[in-house]
This record gives sequence, C-alpha cells and structure tokens, in this order.
Amino acid sequence: MKQIRAVMVGQPNVGKSSIINAISGARLHVGNFAGVTVEKKEVTLQRGENDIDIVDLPGIYSLKAYTPEEHVAKRYLIEGQYDVIINVVDANILQRNLILTLQLLDMRRPMVLVVNMVDELEEKGGKIDADMLSTLLGIPVILTSAKEKRGVDEVVEKLIEVYKQKECACKLFYNEKIEDEIEKLSHILLKSPHFNDPNLARFYVIRLLENDEEIYKIVHDLPIFLELHEALGESIKRLKLEFDADSVSDIFADERNAIARSIVMQVMIQPQKETLTDKIDKILIHPILGLPIFLFFMWALFQITFEVGSIPMDYIDETVSNFASWLRTILPAGDLNSVITDGVIPAVGAILMFLPNILILFLGINLLEQTGYMARAAFLLDGFMKKFGLQGKAFIPLVSGFGCTVPAYMAARTLKNPKDRLITMLILGFMNCSARLPVYVLFIAAFFPTTSAGNVLFTIYVGGAILGLIVAKILRAILFKGEPEPFVMEMPPYRFPSIKVLAMELWIKAKLFIKKAGTFIAGAAMIIWFLSSYPVNEELQAQYQQKIEQASSKTQKVALMNEFAAKNLEHSYLGQIGKVIEPIFAPIGFDWRLSVATLSGLAAKEVVVSTLATLYAVGEANEKSDTLINKLRENIDFKTAIALIIIIMIYSPCVAAMSTFYAEVPQWAWRAFYTIYPNVLAWLAAFGVYHLLELLGY
Amino acid sequence: MKVTQMKIGQSGIIKKITAPEPIKSRLFAMGVAKNNRLTLLDHTIKKQTWEIEVEGTRIALRKEEAEGIEVEP
Repeated sequence: MKQIRAVMVGQPNVGKSSIINAISGARLHVGNFAGVTVEKKEVTLQRGENDIDIVDLPGIYSLKAYTPEEHVAKRYLIEGQYDVIINVVDANILQRNLILTLQLLDMRRPMVLVVNMVDELEEKGGKIDADMLSTLLGIPVILTSAKEKRGVDEVVEKLIEVYKQKECACKLFYNEKIEDEIEKLSHILLKSPHFNDPNLARFYVIRLLENDEEIYKIVHDLPIFLELHEALGESIKRLKLEFDADSVSDIFADERNAIARSIVMQVMIQPQKETLTDKIDKILIHPILGLPIFLFFMWALFQITFEVGSIPMDYIDETVSNFASWLRTILPAGDLNSVITDGVIPAVGAILMFLPNILILFLGINLLEQTGYMARAAFLLDGFMKKFGLQGKAFIPLVSGFGCTVPAYMAARTLKNPKDRLITMLILGFMNCSARLPVYVLFIAAFFPTTSAGNVLFTIYVGGAILGLIVAKILRAILFKGEPEPFVMEMPPYRFPSIKVLAMELWIKAKLFIKKAGTFIAGAAMIIWFLSSYPVNEELQAQYQQKIEQASSKTQKVALMNEFAAKNLEHSYLGQIGKVIEPIFAPIGFDWRLSVATLSGLAAKEVVVSTLATLYAVGEANEKSDTLINKLRENIDFKTAIALIIIIMIYSPCVAAMSTFYAEVPQWAWRAFYTIYPNVLAWLAAFGVYHLLELLGY
Repeated sequence: MKVTQMKIGQSGIIKKITAPEPIKSRLFAMGVAKNNRLTLLDHTIKKQTWEIEVEGTRIALRKEEAEGIEVEP
C-alpha cells in the first residue's frame, strides 16, 4: 500500500468542489483547518495499490494572500505535507487562471493541471489543445467537465503517474535578467547547512523578490540571512532599474501575464458567441430594474426562510420536550436529572429549532453565490453600503439578522475581507432578531394604545437598523482609520448550480451547527440553569410545601406555587446577582426584577418575558397575558419601560449568538470588545432617553 | 484615459495601473495587467461602482480603483 497525499488548488469559482464530488469511490471528510474557522474538505479513495488522500484548499486568486481563506491555503501549500499538487483552472478564463498556475510552478513540485468546464467553452465554439498546453508547461494536462463527469477519473490516474516520477518536468523560465538574479540569490540560500533543495531555494527567492512577508519570516532565522538580505536589496534595485518598474512584484506580474498570454494564444481557440451572462446581466444589473429585482429576491428568501422554516419548528419543539419528559422518568430523580431535563435539553432544543431556518437561509445564500448572483447584489448595493463603511455583500447578513442573529453571523462568511466582515458582525446585534419580538409586544401592549402599536414596533426595528449603520460608520472611522477599503470583486458568469455541491455544502453547515449546539450552547445553558436553581432554600421549600398542601382550592394552590417560584428565584444566585447589579440599573429606573429579567435575556431574548412572569408571580405567561400586563403597569412607569425597550434593542444578543460570534472571530481583543461595547452603549442610550423623558414630565 | 472616463461598451488596452498594495496584487490576480484588453461594461447610476471585463473576467470595482487604471483606446 502506498499513501499519496495531494492538494487541490485553484482560483475561486473554478469548480473544485464539483470535481471532488465527481471522483468515483471517494469518501468525503469535513473539518476545520487547525486553529481557524476555515472549512477543510478532504476525500480519500483507493486505486489499485494506492491510498489517495486529497485536501481541497480554499479558493485562492494568487500566492499574494489577502483573505483569511487565502492565507490558510497558502500556508498549507508552503508548509503542508503533500506529494502532488492538483491545480484546477477554468477553461473559459484560462489566461487569468494560468497566472496562479505559473506561481505554483515556481515551486517545481509534482503537479497536474486540470482544465475544468471545458464543456462550456466548447459549447461557445472555443477549444483547447491539451497536448500543446502540456508540452509548454511541462506537466500533464487533463480536460474535464465535472458536470458531464468527463475526464474526472483520469485526474486520479495522472496523479499517481506524476507521483511515481517524483520530479516536476516543468521548465518554464522568466526573463534572463530575472533568472540571473534568482540564480545569484539561490546560491546564497543554498549555503545554509539545512537548505539543500535547489527547487525550494528558487521558489523562496522568487517569493522574496516579490516581497512575500511569510517567506521572509521563514528565512529570517537562517544563519546566512544578513548576506541574503543585502544581496536581495541589491538585486531588487538592479531589477527595478533594468525594467523601469515600481516594484519587482510588478515585473513578475507583467512577466507572468506575458507568458500566460502567449500560452493561451498558442493553445486556445477563443469562443465567439455572446454569452448567456451578457444577456442576463442586461436585466439583473439594469440601472433601474436591478434594485427592485434584488429586493424581490431578498423578500422571497426571507419569506421562505422564516415561513417554511417555522413549520418543522413545532415538531422539533415537541420531540425535544417529549424526549426530556421521557428522560425525566428514566433517570434517577435529583440534580443530575434536573440539570439535563430542565437545563441542557430545552436549551439545546431551542437552538436546534433554528436548524431549519439556518439550512433554508444557507441553501438560499449558496444558491445566490453559486449562480453568480451574489456578486451582482454586491455590485448594486455597494454604493449605498459604502457610505456607512460597509460593503455591498454585507446586506445579506444584516437582513438575516432580523430573523436570527446566529445564522446571520454565519452568513457574514460571504464577506471575504476580514475587516468588512468584522464590522458587519459587530453591528449585527442591532438588527432586531425575531426572539425579541415577544418582549416588544408585551411592553407595547402594556404602555401604548393599541392604535399606535404597529408604528411603535416599526420605529423600534427601523431605529435599530439606523443605529447599526451609524455605529458601522463610527467603527470604520475610529478602528480602521485610514486603511484602504479594497473592493475588487470578480463577477463570475451565471451558472446552474450543481445539486450535489449544494447538498454537500448544506450537510457541512448542518454538521458544524449541531456540533456547536452540543458544546458551546449546552455549556452556557447549564450555567444559567445552575444560577437560577441554586442555592436551594430548604426552609422556604418546606414552608411552601406545607402551605400548598393545606390550600383548599386549586387557584390558591397555583398562586402559592407561583409565589414559591418567585421567592426561589429571588434567593437563587441569579436573583442575588440581580440585587448586586441593581445599583447599575438604578439610574435608568430598573428594580432588581427588571435587572434579573435583563440578565436572563442573555440566555435567550424570549426568556425576558417568562422571567418577568415568574418574578411578578403570575405563573406561566406569554406576551398576551393580561395579568402580566396589569402587573407591569402597576410596577413600572413609562420612562422605565422605554428604557427597557432600548436596553433590549442594543445590549448583547443571546448566548447562542455570542458563542457563534466567538467561534467565528478568533481574536480575543475583538471578542472582548464585542462583549462589552453593546452593553455600555445600551446603558448610555437608555440613560439618556430615561432622563429626557423625565425632563419632559413623563 | 482613465477607466472612469470611458463610455459603456468602449474598450482599450491597459497601459498603467496605479494602486496601493494589496489592491494592486488583487487587480493583477484578476487579470488587470498591462497590455490586456479592457472593456467597460457598466456602472451604477451614481458612478460609484464600475464593472469591467478583462480577458473574459468580469470585475466590479469602486470609483477609487477604477480611476487608477489607464487605458489606450
């Protein structure tokens, strides 16, 4: 048995995933690259006596890495353990794709070139001469169409062949003057005792000439660094002078572009027909019609997500609570029983209920991305979003935020620029999620006339969105001051998405989400449960048990049980914390009950309503409960109610959302900032409005 | 002339690209390099976002980046 390890590399949108899917007998494994939230797809298969393992790297435009995904791919290419590179290119845009191929060839490692989507090219009347291309590049070339399953299994055969040869037969050279400098510098690098691979030396030198920081870090510790550094400076100076260029990167860019151009001219017959993309684009990014069409798509997506997604919700809810009550009878009574059936299972169930929403939303987003429409949406909206320091694509996570913040954070992954993504995620909480609706409905019913309820609710939602955009603008101006905001984005041709790839992506999302629900969220639920049920006051318990037993009527019994629950919560750690933090909330009119309710909202926003119900001892209640509304009117004044609404609008989202944010953003500084700033902002806003209302005489 | 001075549908050969890193490398990686043919496909009403085509790739850019690309018709 021989173990062959291969990596699959290519620019985005070249159909790498479809190729991986089309290889027969391959088994897919999904995980994350170590330490980052970048998905890692890996397939294993067997051919004859060979065990083959292919890692699919994230799409990468060039070895000058830019997005987090590209950094992961680049690091893997440089440091990873593998035997063969499979470079996938799109036949329709061969010239541009070949530039990455040329950068990869600098490594002089065994490599196979897969020219994908050749069916599309031929349909349009174009053609590629694979043998000629193979001769020019010095590596095997396979024409494939993942859609028609053409050539895919040949990739595996060639891979084994190349593996056996070990050496790369590629003999591409740059301009003589450049090669001279490479030669000189390689010579110095090879003087280093641990460095004896001339191919690797050549690659490092080329990267160093292009001012590649990551390679710089690697060679920095070599004993010959000083000599190399000096010689490098001189070489760069000579080359810049010779080519009259601003930087050596520019020289290499022009060189590679020229080589790619000449190769394409020799091997390719260009297609002639006007493409389907031209025709569709005339409508979809039409200066006037474009925006309404986009808004319609968005409206449809969210209708489907939250309407269709709500259908299985009840089933999931029912199944989970049935499971919990079944488990309650099985497990021995006691704390363990309680923590599992009252704490963990309902919390995890509440999260799993969002799974249908998330899957539908992601199916929609994947469809938009794979068909190529997402880039058009970004194109249409970028002008507007830019005013707030955001990017066109940020629209989608922001609108998703009105449904649920958890999938919205995950949807922010469509933003490839880390800064754009971070700013978007930092303001997502201001888009009011659907779980906050019960709280608003309760307070509006209690403190506003029915006629203006709709307007108030609308104001809350629009106010949140406007606040979010303003905060985005401020964050961009303060935290990322003066940094360039590059927006250079490929508009891929429209394509029919592959069902298989869609299904695979969905399966990956579901798996990762369930994993998260089972770990992060279950843990958080356990803590909240513990804080609200401990310490047990035995005296109180005995006292009420006696009272309840003695109670004559059923209503009396229920009233006593509610009273007991309220007292119990008051004495619990959560209640104690509420009393400790009461002084913080006192300036905005909150008593300890509202403080505890606000805290419990961190578990899930709906919980605010049920906590208030418990604390005001009205038992089971929802936002339409008259008793609760009356109790609120008796105990809270208007300005406090408004302050609470403002707090709910702005402060930290629920733990499920927060843990999603933590999982998506690895930097501790940002995590800390994200945990603190919305709460400070919420308090300040509530304080301002509370005192303004006081001045106005409310 | 600059890309921002072109008319929709007009094309030309790229002569010079002025942009800070990492935008410049990104443009190169997308095929915006010297001597390639560029066609202006579209821009939004307010001319904030521009769509160009270079050697078969369609690219969206902002006004700031589009201004840095010079072509010869």
